[in-house]
Amino acid sequence: MSEYKYDYYADKKLKERAGRTHDHGDHDHDHDDHAPINEHDDGPPSEFEIMSRAMQELLEEKGVITAEQVRRRMEVFEEDFPYRGSKLVARAWTDPAFRQRLLDDGKAACAEMGIDLEVDRLIAVENTPDVHNVIVCTLCSCYPRALLGMPPTWYKSRNYRSRVVFEPRAVLKEFGTVLPESVTVRVHDSNADMRYVVIPMRPEGTEGWSDEQLADMLTRDTLVGVTIPRVNAAS
Amino acid sequence: MSGTHPNQGPQDIGGAEAGPVDTLDHGMKFWERQANGLRSTLQRNKIMRTDELRRAAEDLGSRYSELAYFEITTSALRTVLIEKGLITEHELKAKMEQIRARFNVPDEMESPLKKGASR
Amino acid sequence: MNAAQTSAPLPSTYTPAPGRRFNVGDAVVVKRAFPPGHRRTPCYIRGKAGVIERVCGVFPNPEELAYGFDGEPKKVLYRVRFTQKEVWPEYRGPDRDIIEMEIFEHWLERAGV
Repeated sequence: MSEYKYDYYADKKLKERAGRTHDHGDHDHDHDDHAPINEHDDGPPSEFEIMSRAMQELLEEKGVITAEQVRRRMEVFEEDFPYRGSKLVARAWTDPAFRQRLLDDGKAACAEMGIDLEVDRLIAVENTPDVHNVIVCTLCSCYPRALLGMPPTWYKSRNYRSRVVFEPRAVLKEFGTVLPESVTVRVHDSNADMRYVVIPMRPEGTEGWSDEQLADMLTRDTLVGVTIPRVNAAS
Repeated sequence: MSGTHPNQGPQDIGGAEAGPVDTLDHGMKFWERQANGLRSTLQRNKIMRTDELRRAAEDLGSRYSELAYFEITTSALRTVLIEKGLITEHELKAKMEQIRARFNVPDEMESPLKKGASR
Repeated sequence: MNAAQTSAPLPSTYTPAPGRRFNVGDAVVVKRAFPPGHRRTPCYIRGKAGVIERVCGVFPNPEELAYGFDGEPKKVLYRVRFTQKEVWPEYRGPDRDIIEMEIFEHWLERAGV
């Protein structure tokens, strides 16, 4: 396992947790002396960074894409996508008819809210007192990006992708989510054309909350099913 | 449990033994956001399909497990663009040289995505 | 036959799958085969028995799209439900725990045949 470098940041973090100091040399591979060493872009650019920019510039020169298109995509991924899923599910919590429409036809329900999913199909799965849903893509990192933005580091990590399918309860526990044996754990391997979102159970103590207040507690992790929304003392 | 079947790709890791999940999100670096924007633009412009990129990533073989996510996708994009004849290996090399030189300019503060920086 | 097998209405994006082999509730086995190439059927599920959870409709074949072809002819895509105990005999959780995923028709066989 120690030579595994798929999720560099996860590795680094785990090492830090284990009380080891930074050791960049640990990660050196002969093919890439500039493996991503820092998280703030303040080092020399890696070969991959240069390659990615070079590809973009070549494609601009050839008229295949424009810089504006790329910039716009970067913006929607950061400014629009991450905030949509929580609004969608908050509405499902407060509007039972909408919740049913979301369960029946996720894409159409999104369209109602002005959300273009950019994929063919969304399957919303609901947590109940008897069933807890959790989403993974073991083969790559399929994820409802137009609802939740880019997948978090852990979703793309080898450890999550390989383990949550065969020991979901142990993995959920690492997220602080402990489920009683009486609850069925339903894992969804998002391996083809569907995308998934979890509708968590609405916590007690949120009666009368506005959609906005509810959306605030619906973090990305709750919509992937690794955590459960909780009423915060701060709210 | 993984890697035991004939033709099992390096991406096909469901069921493999692995360590604990680092449950924190580490966010994305600027270049990763650019790489993602580029990939997304190409898919929206119907220049390539997701499955082509996935296949090119899987073809990395043992390197797949050594590379980080956006290193994999960037390698795969390069493969697909070359194979579609949209860029050549030679052009890419030359362009990378240019960009490397640009990075050596001491005042480089601007994102090359901002057109001013690419002169 | 009408494509609707579940009581729920079909999604607006549903593309009918006439002539498909399986319906909701059918017992199926994933083919145990390991051909080279781009496959969306994870190795861990090959050879395992499950039940059709829903019919997703027809979709371009990713095994063709991956090589730059048009994905025709399209293939019927299903969601299949497996018990964890079936997939991982050594599974440590309760028997009722399940795992579901999408499997294309050409990867499925009727169970018990």
